[in-house]
Amino acid sequence: MKSLASLSLWRIIILILPLVSLGQTFEYGWPDNYDKPPQCVDIPVDLRLCQGVGYHQMLLPNLLEHESMAEVKQQAGSWVPLLHKNCDPGTQLLLCSLFAPVCMERPIYPCRRLCENVRDGCSPIMAAFGFPWPHILTCDKFPQDDMCINTPNDTSTSEPNGHPPVCPPCDNEMKMDVILDHMCASEFAIKTKIQEVKRENMDRKVTLQKKKRTIKMGTLKKKDLKKLTLYLKNGADCPCTQLDNTRNTYLIMGRKVDKQYLLTGIHKWDKSNREFKKTMKKLKSHKCPAYENVFK
Amino acid sequence: MSSEYLIRSLLMLFLALFSANASNWLYLAKLSSVGSISDEETCEKLRGLIQRQVQICKRNVEVMDAVRRGAQLAIDECQYQFRNRRWNCSTLESVPVFGKVVTQGTREAAFVYAISAASVAFAVTRACSSGELDKCGCDRNVHGVSPEGFQWSGCSDNIAYGVAFSQSFVDIRERSKGQSSNRALMNLHNNEAGRKAILNHMRVECKCHGVSGSCEVKTCWKAMPPFRKVGNVIKEKFDGATEVELRKVGTTKVLVPRNSQFKPHTDEDLVYLDPSPDFCEHDPRTPGIMGTAGRFCNKTSKAIDGCELMCCGRGFHTEEVEVVDRCSCKFHWCCYVKCKQCRKMVEMHTCR
Repeated sequence: MKSLASLSLWRIIILILPLVSLGQTFEYGWPDNYDKPPQCVDIPVDLRLCQGVGYHQMLLPNLLEHESMAEVKQQAGSWVPLLHKNCDPGTQLLLCSLFAPVCMERPIYPCRRLCENVRDGCSPIMAAFGFPWPHILTCDKFPQDDMCINTPNDTSTSEPNGHPPVCPPCDNEMKMDVILDHMCASEFAIKTKIQEVKRENMDRKVTLQKKKRTIKMGTLKKKDLKKLTLYLKNGADCPCTQLDNTRNTYLIMGRKVDKQYLLTGIHKWDKSNREFKKTMKKLKSHKCPAYENVFK
Repeated sequence: MSSEYLIRSLLMLFLALFSANASNWLYLAKLSSVGSISDEETCEKLRGLIQRQVQICKRNVEVMDAVRRGAQLAIDECQYQFRNRRWNCSTLESVPVFGKVVTQGTREAAFVYAISAASVAFAVTRACSSGELDKCGCDRNVHGVSPEGFQWSGCSDNIAYGVAFSQSFVDIRERSKGQSSNRALMNLHNNEAGRKAILNHMRVECKCHGVSGSCEVKTCWKAMPPFRKVGNVIKEKFDGATEVELRKVGTTKVLVPRNSQFKPHTDEDLVYLDPSPDFCEHDPRTPGIMGTAGRFCNKTSKAIDGCELMCCGRGFHTEEVEVVDRCSCKFHWCCYVKCKQCRKMVEMHTCR
């Protein structure tokens, strides 16, 4: 009798385990029960957004529903300039946990706190370039429990004291990769001098001299180029040494948002600087990732 | 005595012949997933196909792997949707895989036919979109700029091709008898209702792929709903299915509600001819009805999954078992997940 009861108990336990596993599988599995599961692939060398992130393999499709590596690279490329801004220590980790998610049995999302920290640190800089915090990075949808990605050393960053932050479009390293990334993220680029700088509400209005040379035409038309006026978004009070010096020639980048042209980057046209000269030479052959051809 | 015996023998023979054909192609789900249907010779060996389906198989060998996945999808979804009911879509290792349940014109048969037709349309359409099939691809009728202003791009699901193939392959036996039989009419109606559950829930999916994730550049495509959604829709139709009977209208035969006070069914509704058995007891004469003895039930529920209804009033056993589960899982950088082992005693109830 006791032996029979024991046997029955074990049979039930054996029955329970698959049910529990099934429940887990259902709860944490991939959303569509028909699609093939994502594949584990090496992070390619030319996915520059995620070099040095701390792991070497990623899931494809990723957590942003990018289905091919070409799509991942193309979409990740426009985020590389943000990394150069160092607006939050967790920027790369947040972006790469979605663009190049770690290979686990189930998807691991970034923690909500990580997302909120990066958003609070970086969205003012993105706004300076005319970009709102995108829908794909809405923080509310990310988990708050322990099953998520946080910065490894989760210490709250202390605010920098003293110096007011430099205007984001003016805060650029004289480095080829940085300039090329900003060039690709901008719609147009021209070589010219500054005629006048004036405050206008929260922005600074930059009037350019008539004499201009187009480096990258983009969506700009010739008639617009003639009377081009650029705005430093939310830049009324932040320091920008380039705008203070109207005698220099500059490489100026911008993009159009609604009916305004925003300044997205400004570098002194310095032929004596070896890095700058190298960049200008590279620019002739450099190809920006095309946004159209991934979605034929 | 002799006359009665003869009639019963003829009836049994008729049932045997009839059951040999109904929805048998679902047996494709039982094939080994390692093998592949790659040549015409394999078509002849497939159990469950009628001759005309073998011919379709030979002409469309490359589509048959998708059909097999469709068969598996139908069974999986059926077992999910009916997991808490007395009949829970349990399958047999023979043809037909659901046994006698689908050979009678019951509500359950209506669901099986609808989910099967839908699953073939779904699986074939997916095979088109994934580039697996050369003879179809994305829906190229969807292109240009939409009225809402976004660019149609990406791969719109070619649902028209999937539906057409499902119609030709799944409906073929019903159509081969003409449309005289009430059961054939029921099957054709429910097959089409299953396909409508996909067609009427097609949606637009979009991606924002401008700079920094903005929606300056946005492309959209038409996509099928997840198959779970299709299963949910057909299950709702099952719950509200209409009992019908055959009636002659001029020279045509149509299915009309048995109860004239009910409103007529639509193209999307499921219809059935016969009342369902109670599915309470295992009956060796009715393969596919396993009965509810040994089934888990919910003591606190008053729905069909509750012990009173699930066990058909026969009562239930209660046993306390220890369940070991993972809990307090934590992701560690970089990169592994560590969980604790939690033990708890759970009361399990099974029907007598």
